[in-house]
Amino acid sequence: MLKSPDWHLLIVWYFFLGGIAGGAYFTAAIADNFGGPRDKSVIRIGYVLALLLIGLCGILLILDLGTPSRFMNMMLHFKFWDPMSIGAWMLGVFGLFAFVSSVLSLVGGEGVAPARRAVSLVGTIAGFFIAAYTGVLLSATALPLWREARLMGALFLASGASTGMAAISLLLYLAGESAGEGFKKVKRADRYAIMFEILVLAAFVVLLGGAAGPLVTGQLAPLFWGGLVAVGLVLPLLVDLTGLKVPGAIPAALVLVGGFILRYVIVMANA
Amino acid sequence: MTTNLIDIQHADVIMCTNNMAENHPVGFQWVMKAKERGAKVIHVDPRFTRTSAVSDVHVPLRSGTNIAFFGGLMSYAIQNNLYFKDYVVSFTNASFLIDPAFKTPTDLGGLFEGLEQTGKGGTDPHVAQTYNKTSWKYQLDAEGNPKRDLTLQDPNCVFQLLKRHYSRYTPEMVERICGIPKAKFVEVAKLYCGTSGREKTGTITYALNLTQHTNGVQNIRALCMLQLLLGNIGRPGGGVTALRGHANVQGATDLEVLYHELPGYLPMPLRDAHPDLKTYLEKETPKGGFWVNRPKFMVSLLKAFYGSSATKDNEFGYQWLPKRASADAYSHQHTFVDMYKGKIKGFFCDGQNPAVGGPNAKLARAAMQKLDWLVVVDIFNTETAEVWKAPGTNPKDVKTEVFFVPAAPAAEKDGSLTNTMRLIQWHEKSVNPPGDVQTDAQFVCTLAHRLQKMYAGSKKDRDKGFLAAGFNYGEKPDHPDMELVLKEVNGFATEEIADKDGKVLYKKGQAIASFAQLTDDGKTASGCWIYTGVINEGPDGKLVNKANAHKPGDEKDYLAHGWGFAWPANRRILYNRASADAAGKPWSEKKKLIWWDPEAPGQTPDKMGKWVGLDVPDFNAFLAPDAKNGDKPFIMRADLVGAFFGPLNDGPFPEHYEPIESPTRNLLSKQQNNPVAKIWSVPDKRNDLAPMGSKDYPYVITTYRLTEHHLSGVMSRYLPMLAELFESHFAEISHELAKELGIVNGDKVTVSTPRGKIVAKAMVTHRLKPFMIDGKTVHEIGVPWHWGYNGIAKGDITNDLSATVADPTVYIQETKAFMCNVKKGEV
Amino acid sequence: MARTLAMFTDTSLCIGCRACQVACKQWNELPAEQPEWTGSYQNHATFTDKTYRLVRFMEKPQPNGELAWLLMSDVCKHCAQAGCLDACPTGAIYRTEFGTVNINQDVCNGCRYCVSSCPFGVVSFNHDTGRANKCTFCNDRIHNGLGPACAKTCPTDSIQFGFRDELVPKAQKRVAALKELGYKDAQLYGADSNGPLGGLNAFFLLLDRPAAYALPEKPLLPQRNVKVDSLLAVGSALLVGVGALVAFRERGGATKDGGNA
Repeated sequence: MLKSPDWHLLIVWYFFLGGIAGGAYFTAAIADNFGGPRDKSVIRIGYVLALLLIGLCGILLILDLGTPSRFMNMMLHFKFWDPMSIGAWMLGVFGLFAFVSSVLSLVGGEGVAPARRAVSLVGTIAGFFIAAYTGVLLSATALPLWREARLMGALFLASGASTGMAAISLLLYLAGESAGEGFKKVKRADRYAIMFEILVLAAFVVLLGGAAGPLVTGQLAPLFWGGLVAVGLVLPLLVDLTGLKVPGAIPAALVLVGGFILRYVIVMANA
Repeated sequence: MTTNLIDIQHADVIMCTNNMAENHPVGFQWVMKAKERGAKVIHVDPRFTRTSAVSDVHVPLRSGTNIAFFGGLMSYAIQNNLYFKDYVVSFTNASFLIDPAFKTPTDLGGLFEGLEQTGKGGTDPHVAQTYNKTSWKYQLDAEGNPKRDLTLQDPNCVFQLLKRHYSRYTPEMVERICGIPKAKFVEVAKLYCGTSGREKTGTITYALNLTQHTNGVQNIRALCMLQLLLGNIGRPGGGVTALRGHANVQGATDLEVLYHELPGYLPMPLRDAHPDLKTYLEKETPKGGFWVNRPKFMVSLLKAFYGSSATKDNEFGYQWLPKRASADAYSHQHTFVDMYKGKIKGFFCDGQNPAVGGPNAKLARAAMQKLDWLVVVDIFNTETAEVWKAPGTNPKDVKTEVFFVPAAPAAEKDGSLTNTMRLIQWHEKSVNPPGDVQTDAQFVCTLAHRLQKMYAGSKKDRDKGFLAAGFNYGEKPDHPDMELVLKEVNGFATEEIADKDGKVLYKKGQAIASFAQLTDDGKTASGCWIYTGVINEGPDGKLVNKANAHKPGDEKDYLAHGWGFAWPANRRILYNRASADAAGKPWSEKKKLIWWDPEAPGQTPDKMGKWVGLDVPDFNAFLAPDAKNGDKPFIMRADLVGAFFGPLNDGPFPEHYEPIESPTRNLLSKQQNNPVAKIWSVPDKRNDLAPMGSKDYPYVITTYRLTEHHLSGVMSRYLPMLAELFESHFAEISHELAKELGIVNGDKVTVSTPRGKIVAKAMVTHRLKPFMIDGKTVHEIGVPWHWGYNGIAKGDITNDLSATVADPTVYIQETKAFMCNVKKGEV
Repeated sequence: MARTLAMFTDTSLCIGCRACQVACKQWNELPAEQPEWTGSYQNHATFTDKTYRLVRFMEKPQPNGELAWLLMSDVCKHCAQAGCLDACPTGAIYRTEFGTVNINQDVCNGCRYCVSSCPFGVVSFNHDTGRANKCTFCNDRIHNGLGPACAKTCPTDSIQFGFRDELVPKAQKRVAALKELGYKDAQLYGADSNGPLGGLNAFFLLLDRPAAYALPEKPLLPQRNVKVDSLLAVGSALLVGVGALVAFRERGGATKDGGNA
């Protein structure tokens, strides 16, 4: 008798893109703080991508509202225990960080680098938040698949990081920088993220137990096993580990497809 | 209804034989109050319903076998000595001796003494028969009083006849006929017979579940007899809870919107038997009981009809009354058969929807399509109003001219409603009717005025009565003042009335306070004597409308005498003299209602003693228990006692017969059906009947109503919020039958009888179970009958399935038990 | 804060007449909806944005061969700890001075988070207005000294309205009386203010286990998950961070698996 919030593709896209934004920002921030000059493209792409996507996310969220003209009502109220409320606020906060970081990565050169790095360390917290809070938001509902999933936030974060990195590497590839050191580093980081995500997903399914039914045995099971697990996680990892000679864009694209499917099956299981 | 809904809370056991929670949810609050107190609720019904859901015991009974069940209970009470002997001996005709020539079905193979053939077979599937009742009478002593045996031992006494008659109704027989497992029957018999005696009472509720059968009146008699046997009538928590089908059926009955009676339960004159007022009054006035006053009521009624034109010289206008050609003429079904045969040309249909609501509705529609004209007065554009375009009809073939007159519902007019417990309650208009909509009273009066104008000056005898009748209530002829209508119903003095000493009791035109003051000399007029007292002039001369009284009940007056007005004389429980023993003392302290107080001041200063208590005595308040007839509570009967032996047209005792259409032979006797049931012969195979045990129509079907819909749906299917409550028309089918027929919940099914077929959705449910009848499985299905082809919620018309057959006393249809077939899909 | 108001729905007195359902629609001017086939008398299958009171009909064959037809008039529970209220990011959902939970239609922006946060499936989204709605406890009536329309219309007093501190003892007495009459499974649902969700301001007397009435045995506040899940996410972030750090930290020099690129 429980009710679905009737969240559909707009929300799937939001969860997916928000994850990428958070992941990309965090990747850029790590590269910014701990990488070298060769990671400049990674940094620039990461920050700017985060900014563009978070803007898009805001639009998606507003469009999904029953009364879009009242989107500002969320800003008139703050509840620290409510994922939706903090999420709305953090969207703005993160947007601000992404904006500042993007600007500082595009203009000002090395002079502003210390400031940029400092900003990005704090911004990363917001980036992580944006990637993860949507998972916690789902787990703080009454619907069995969501509420029983203790690791939803952790999973979304891992996926956000991984898809963020994949998105950066895809853009690097498209920008013709696939031979660069930055590209390799991102790929390597993504490998760890994928491996971690697989572990979290396994724990997630085990912890869910019977509540995982809609995902693992229901109508969405082919998409879950085939789309997410096989195509989105195992295949790109295998390509990576076996050193299979394929264009660098392909594993990245697979990871992105997997990330989308993850949000899709989880949201649509209760649609 | 002998009792009062509020009083149900004092019952120890309530046996609902109808689906009271479903169809009388507001009254049912008192059953729930009783239950909260610890009373047990038994529900006897073929289906497990909303009533069963809150009952302690559900007794599934095959439709049409109620008499077998009640007979079984009476037999159980008698055989196990559980009847209330003191009550039975004192207050009923159990001790009366019957003519030795009288024989019961025990001796005559299912028939009573005196069956005669009266008609020819012809096309009629049943030969018309009737009972010659000459032997159905008391043995009289030299003074003309019935002989009695107070020991109840004489083999010809009513009690012994009753005992012998029902000795055949054993628990085993009940199980075979009704399909009630013996253990369950015995459980219920023990429980209900536990209401016998001084300390306990029980009430039995019924509605159309008992009436709509070819032995409908006998069903109710059986119920009443059981209550008499257990001493439950006239006592708190007892009585017969007769539940009327909607808000004002009681009022419609009291005012006699009926073919066979005039207002106040006065018989409608018969053409041959009642040629003049004198003969009418002689024949219809019994020698004993309160009906000795009938001439006063009849003359007062004629004065109310015809006013100053009614004089002693013209029999108070008696000859202006239409007379019935025969006892069954103008009954509902008779009318539609005549209409179909082309005998009726025009039809006023006011607030009724026979295209959906009556038996054999397909016949009713075909009949109305043959009319020259049809006037429909209703609050919505009903199926009857659009009968010319009913499904399967080419409007071009229908020549009937239809006039639709929009009517105002209760909220748009002043007036009274009389509810199931004889309670007259006033309602005031809350909004004006929209547009040209008129109230019923406006419509009737306006029409009458116009017709009187058209016929003014006519010298024809047949027009005189109509021209003499008054339709003026207040200053505005077209806007009748409803309180003045009520005053006419109540009664008023047509001239000054003084007592013996010349003291003026009533000025001309003043409302009469009590029906005891009505006279047969034309000095009083009363439109319905039982309502007398409902409205009177106060000291200031203004009308005081007691129907509009709003003092709720409290601990001192739990029966709420200050709320509305219950006829007669604001008595809440009828025959309440029976709440005290023969000597006038309450049977028990716990169950006291009225009692004789020898200390109270009497009728005159020199006398002492009066009936006092919690209700208005339904008895002469000053008649001492030890006076003549002071111990006889049933004052409306000529012999003043409750009748076990009560000659109806189909026998003095109820006897089980199978419904006209039945899955089984009568297991009790070789007489299959009520031998004097009425079966109309209708041309064009429009009233074909399924033979007993027919393979083409193997399932019992019963029809009924739902809480959410009202009758033929005119007040519910047209309202979005009510239409919403059911997705569609449906048929309730047991899991067992569904399995046999391969039906799953929600499948469309076709239900058919020799008269018609309908398509509905199958609601497969545990609430219906097959019956085991004499060792064979008998399936029963249930179909509500609210739907039709107009309104928001539409569906096939269930009444297309039922037959044009009737009971022989009031000619009510048999729509609660007949036979059908069920097929999956639209066949 | 005024004294807490409550509705007590005693299912042992419910006859399933659905007058409450219709009275609710009428008073709150909720339009009729297209009915659906539910297989029983019930309509609709669930609460909707236009049906705030819903009478449920549940057939339950008993082990002894008899049948129980459980009838229950269901409604928003106005939980003392309300998932919908906690979930609402705009403050549209608020608690009145009477302890009831209400949705301010002038503030709600239709995010629908409350819909999924109700442990009873009560809150519904109205596509016509773009806002969430549910039973208001007849907010307009209680602020004018009247009880809710459903309680007012109930013919058998199955729905009772009053102060919570008066209704609860009354309900407890009723359970005791029912147990004495042989209803061994009679129990209160939501009466205990130390129980799940801090007690329900619309509480029930049931004749069977809550599950038989399609009610959760132990309804939980959805927001209880937030802390743990957030911590797990933080842990996840740390691990992912370490991974990325490892990937990016080897400044300058060739990586071990650099040859794979």
